[in-house]
Amino acid sequence: MQQFANPRRFLRLVDLVEPWAWAVTVILFAIGLYLSLVVAPQDYQQGETVRIMFVHVPAAWIALLAYLDMAIASAVAIIFRHPLADLAAKAAAPIGACFTFLALATGSLWGKPMWGTWWVWDARLTSMFVLFLLYLGYIAIWHAIDDPGRAARIAAIVALVGCINLPIIKFSVDWWNTLHQPASVLRIGGPTLHPAILTPLLVMGAAYLALFVTLHLTAIRAEIMARRLRQMELARADEV
Amino acid sequence: MDLAAPHLGFVFAAYGLSLLVLLGLVLWLRHRSRTLSRALQQLEAHGAPRRRAVAEAP
Amino acid sequence: MTALTAVIARDLKLALRQGGGAGIALGFFLTVLVLIPLGIGPDVALLARIAPGTLWIALLQAVLLSADRIFEPDHDDGSLEIMTLGPVPLELIVLAKAAAHWLVTALPMAIAAPFLGLLLNLSPTLFLPLGLAMLLASLALSLLASLVAAVTVGLQRGGLLLSILTLPLYVPALIFGVAASAGGDALSGSRPAALLILLALVLLALVIAPFAGAAALRAHLR
Repeated sequence: MQQFANPRRFLRLVDLVEPWAWAVTVILFAIGLYLSLVVAPQDYQQGETVRIMFVHVPAAWIALLAYLDMAIASAVAIIFRHPLADLAAKAAAPIGACFTFLALATGSLWGKPMWGTWWVWDARLTSMFVLFLLYLGYIAIWHAIDDPGRAARIAAIVALVGCINLPIIKFSVDWWNTLHQPASVLRIGGPTLHPAILTPLLVMGAAYLALFVTLHLTAIRAEIMARRLRQMELARADEV
Repeated sequence: MDLAAPHLGFVFAAYGLSLLVLLGLVLWLRHRSRTLSRALQQLEAHGAPRRRAVAEAP
Repeated sequence: MTALTAVIARDLKLALRQGGGAGIALGFFLTVLVLIPLGIGPDVALLARIAPGTLWIALLQAVLLSADRIFEPDHDDGSLEIMTLGPVPLELIVLAKAAAHWLVTALPMAIAAPFLGLLLNLSPTLFLPLGLAMLLASLALSLLASLVAAVTVGLQRGGLLLSILTLPLYVPALIFGVAASAGGDALSGSRPAALLILLALVLLALVIAPFAGAAALRAHLR
């Protein structure tokens, strides 16, 4: 990790890796979509709408993963003062927020035909919603503070406190849900997964993961360039 | 896929929305990268120094 | 210890003289309690059912409203910077601020809540569970409010940021707080467990808030 502290070397690495990352992403999506839309069978209860799971669950996985990524990057930024760590955290946030939004929206689209309402306060959706708020708060902090160094430190604190809070939220929302739920469990996961459903899900999961990694690298590169741009503009202002 | 199934619209909506949002994300990030890279190239072409004369506070 | 009490005493004195956030909080609390029945209708049974949850929500919102007064005044007149240069560690200052806020804002409301709950036809059997749970939770609420206030001190639109950042932190406290004050035989069995979890949340906040808050203040004032 130390060898990538040099932004220029990191950028060169990204340039090298990027086309391959895109290739892997596209291939995985091609296979995943084929499996999800063509090969996977109908569910005996949900019919065709079970296919929504293949875009909902991976989005939720990545939404969570992106936040963990942000938190780890923030921790590295605070503890090791790695120069690229806070940029990595900042870059991950909008991407994670998009995936969280997708998880919520597709969850809503999955729920409507099943339960008749556009929104249910089901445990997982509720946790997702709070996660979305965590992302928004983190992004807002970066926009609220002018000095990038200061913004990075405050944002890192916000990300880490949020990360500690995340399992607590999950636990409390699950508790709240079981407290108010009658015997019939309304789980958006549906019945247990059999292999015909599991394989498309895993492939789509891998596709989403590949997409996230690719996007994250692109975003980090943009952040590095933005920081360099700012430094150069400041240097130019110094000269005047 | 059974094209006559009920609620098929929801499936298309879900996949369509996912495609839209993810594509939008990709395009936004690429656009941002390109804009920044162009701005950097312009500044470098005009011979701007890469670092401040006095080091920035960490 | 004396430094801690000195900061608390100072904040208390200021609050008593200037009115601070406590008045705003209490006023908001009362407003909610009057508006809810007006908005929902005087159905006494319905009000009794929603009373615990409503009181909790009012408490949370009121504490949130007064949160930006924890550090802003000192930040505005520069005394916060002086405090960071002083002999007292910032962590203790954050703790003292949280304690002062609790004494002046959260605690009075937590005590008053069960009685004000009569306006919502709160069942008297729930007085004690509700009061106890709120007393406990209000500690966490003040601590967490201080943490987020430290993070957002001096920022533009800090009030909005405060709300967004605090909400996820308050969700667990709200859920277990309501669970600890719930009525009905089915739910009352889980009350002791909910209270214990609430205690755990308070202890966690007690550890995290001073350190994270101090780190945020240091980052702001460098």
